Amino acid sequence: MSTDPIWERSHDDEPDVPLAEDIAPGTANDPDASSRERVTITVDGEQVETEAGATLLDACQAVETSGDVLALCSYDENSKIGPRSECRTCMVETEQHSVIPSCSFPPRDGMTVYTDTEMATEARDVNLDLLLSNHNLLCTTCGKNGRCELQDVSIENDVVEPRYGVMHDRSELEPIDDSSPFIQIDRNKCILCNRCVEACNDVQVEGVLRMEGSGENTRIGFQNGMETMMESTCVSCGHCATVCPTGALLEQGLVDATTLPVPGFTHKTSAEGIIGEEYDHQSTQRTPMKSELETQNEPKASEPSATGED
Amino acid sequence: MADEKIICETPAVRVSAGSENHRRGLELLHEVDESEATVTTAAVGSVGYVGLEPLVIASVEGKTAFFSRPSIEQVETIATTLDDETVPTDEAMAVVEHDPATASLPTPETGPLGVGFRHVLGSCGWLAPTSIEEYTELRDDLFTERAEDDPENVRGDVMGTNLRGRGRGDASGDVSVAEEWTTVYETPGDPIVVVNGNESDDHADGDRLLLESAPIAVVDVALASAIALDATDVVIYTNETETLACERTQEAAAALDDVSDTDIPVRVVTGPDEYKAGEPTMALEAIEGNHRIEARRQPPGPSEHGVDGRPTLVHTPRTFAQIGMILEETSLRGATSDPGTRLITVADDDSTLATVELPTDATLDSAVSAVELENGWNGACVGGVFGGLTRTLDVPASAPGLSGARLGTNGVVELLGDSTCMVALAGERAKFAKEMNCGRCVPCREGSKQLVDLLRTVYDGEYKRGMLRELARVMRTTSLCGFGRDASRPVTTAMDEFETEFTAHAKGNCPTGICNQS
Ligand code: SF4
Ligand code: SF4
Ligand code: SF4
Ligand code: FES
Repeated sequence: MSTDPIWERSHDDEPDVPLAEDIAPGTANDPDASSRERVTITVDGEQVETEAGATLLDACQAVETSGDVLALCSYDENSKIGPRSECRTCMVETEQHSVIPSCSFPPRDGMTVYTDTEMATEARDVNLDLLLSNHNLLCTTCGKNGRCELQDVSIENDVVEPRYGVMHDRSELEPIDDSSPFIQIDRNKCILCNRCVEACNDVQVEGVLRMEGSGENTRIGFQNGMETMMESTCVSCGHCATVCPTGALLEQGLVDATTLPVPGFTHKTSAEGIIGEEYDHQSTQRTPMKSELETQNEPKASEPSATGED
Repeated sequence: MADEKIICETPAVRVSAGSENHRRGLELLHEVDESEATVTTAAVGSVGYVGLEPLVIASVEGKTAFFSRPSIEQVETIATTLDDETVPTDEAMAVVEHDPATASLPTPETGPLGVGFRHVLGSCGWLAPTSIEEYTELRDDLFTERAEDDPENVRGDVMGTNLRGRGRGDASGDVSVAEEWTTVYETPGDPIVVVNGNESDDHADGDRLLLESAPIAVVDVALASAIALDATDVVIYTNETETLACERTQEAAAALDDVSDTDIPVRVVTGPDEYKAGEPTMALEAIEGNHRIEARRQPPGPSEHGVDGRPTLVHTPRTFAQIGMILEETSLRGATSDPGTRLITVADDDSTLATVELPTDATLDSAVSAVELENGWNGACVGGVFGGLTRTLDVPASAPGLSGARLGTNGVVELLGDSTCMVALAGERAKFAKEMNCGRCVPCREGSKQLVDLLRTVYDGEYKRGMLRELARVMRTTSLCGFGRDASRPVTTAMDEFETEFTAHAKGNCPTGICNQS
């Protein structure tokens, strides 16, 4: 048993605010993608001056481009989030570097950019369809219907029939994680943009969410290795759901907010299975894991032998 | 125990083996050591011919005989014959006369051992791999000492060439090494030098060969590069399953540390035995200790944002070996557009490997006779797992030559015989991409799934040529890292070269018959 005074130990095992180095989001140590200086570039024939810190996408958005640069996974509300550069629906063609992702390519002085060449358009079209091929495209029962970025870019890009189809076989869908009374996870709608992971780790510094797996098994998961949101250390701040472009992360109150009434068919029942129903009547905002961690961390002076192991 | 130094010793027996035949090699060596004969012995690295190993190399004065996979009895006879100062020639696969003091493996004119030439491979299988004594005796200066004395000169030598990086694990693979050096040198921060030796493609054997057979030279050049670039440390990144390469590199680093004045630490770090982990930015992630390995977004690349965000030089052992040639001031051979030599591993139907060295202006067919083929070949996959399929090897071994022929540059020629169905091979490689990618970007993660599905529909009777082309093109031009950019190459090149096989499959007929079985 340790005789260290409590204040000596307190910051060692304080899970409430994880130390930045303990956070393991499972993602790469990416460099900064913006330019360090002001540059002048040409986008579809128009000259654009960009400030230091701008990306090529910023430049494209400053003018009326000939092609629709979809840029689905990019996020400009918070500089701590992205660019993840995963969806590749922001591709443009340049004279200098061929086809490049505008969201994450630092503009360089004198660059000439075209948004509507055959290569750039094909790249954006195919990549968007690839995203949809792995998406349970059931907008009518989806809680994000009408305010969904994937839906927006699909409409913008005139998608009628995605060339690789959509993910529809119910038996192949992952069960919806409905364990948390605050946030529902439907991985069948996730585009793996990583925004939620960054919101959780880099903005909120909570260290709950992570990217896990590889290849077709890549998914968002929990840093404590648990399977459901309720077993994670989530504090229900809701930031992940705020940044999520799709119906993959939804605040429970909004799960059926915008769905069209299809009798007996809701977002919750859109997949074959649901996990976490045992937490149905959870009343507190804290997940049990989080509460447990906090109890362990309660001042122990009054019951010094309770934890035994130190 | 084998002796520390073997060069110029006579009579001498070298037992040459790579990791695959290492144990058997030690058994044979033990046999010689236990015999009554007075011979100097050494366990040397592979000469590059895995299929011939262990290779027992018996020398007296300027004459050397080679024995492939001899029996214990044969080895006894070899030892007793040598004891009489005579080179045994019975059942030798080759006998060569040479300068008794040669520092480079003497090779016969003909037969597999005579294929290509040995420049960076010279010491492989001839010198004791970790003997610093032998290494220093052969040169006036270590590269490391030269760099200590005049770093600017070393920098100038490398920055003044148009050498291109070798292999998919090199951050300047197929492009200018000088530019990479310049960026590393000019970027603010403490640079670090990474030797990326983690190649899990079973057929791409060049880097492992260098790390096992000539580790001191690789580490010496890497250290010299670090000194020249003002770097503060060197990391040698290897595959966790390659224990021999790992041990030898560690020994080499320790030995160099003893004899040189530099205080730059050399760390050996192992990464997972996964194809993706050899990609340069994933190598950085593994070195940083990330529990999950995915590619890093670029630009800027490793030269500006490498290990822990520091400017980082990432070269393969193969590239460092070429830099060694530049520092030795031998003018580089080969094509001017891509000077130097390339290590090419030739694999036959049974995956018997032979790694040979070709000047970049030689054509690939000159490497073929390094393996014995019973029934010839009717196609080849050039460049490793994600190489290109071709009917001809009349292609220069240079980067521009290979990419012009839409082939890969990772130094592999897999010879494909009658028993290989090209459509099935393309399908296997697409499946590999689907299973092994890091999962980060859409064109590779989702594209490889659709690629597999589109190939499956060929078997269902529909060859969607246009869709396959379009998808392969988008994967190539928009994937985030080299893995995805290369992943569709087997499919597109199979379509280019073996189109009739695709149409035949769509009609339910596999020309080789393989897909129709079962
Ligand atoms: S997330 Fe929901 S609304 Fe958005 S595209 Fe998918 S199904 Fe439609
Ligand atoms: S859950 Fe939403 S925010 Fe998170 S990776 Fe998936 S799509 Fe992006
Ligand atoms: S190309 Fe493939 S391996 Fe590379 S980042 Fe994309 S998914 Fe990962
Ligand atoms: S917005 Fe650029 S890759 Fe997604």
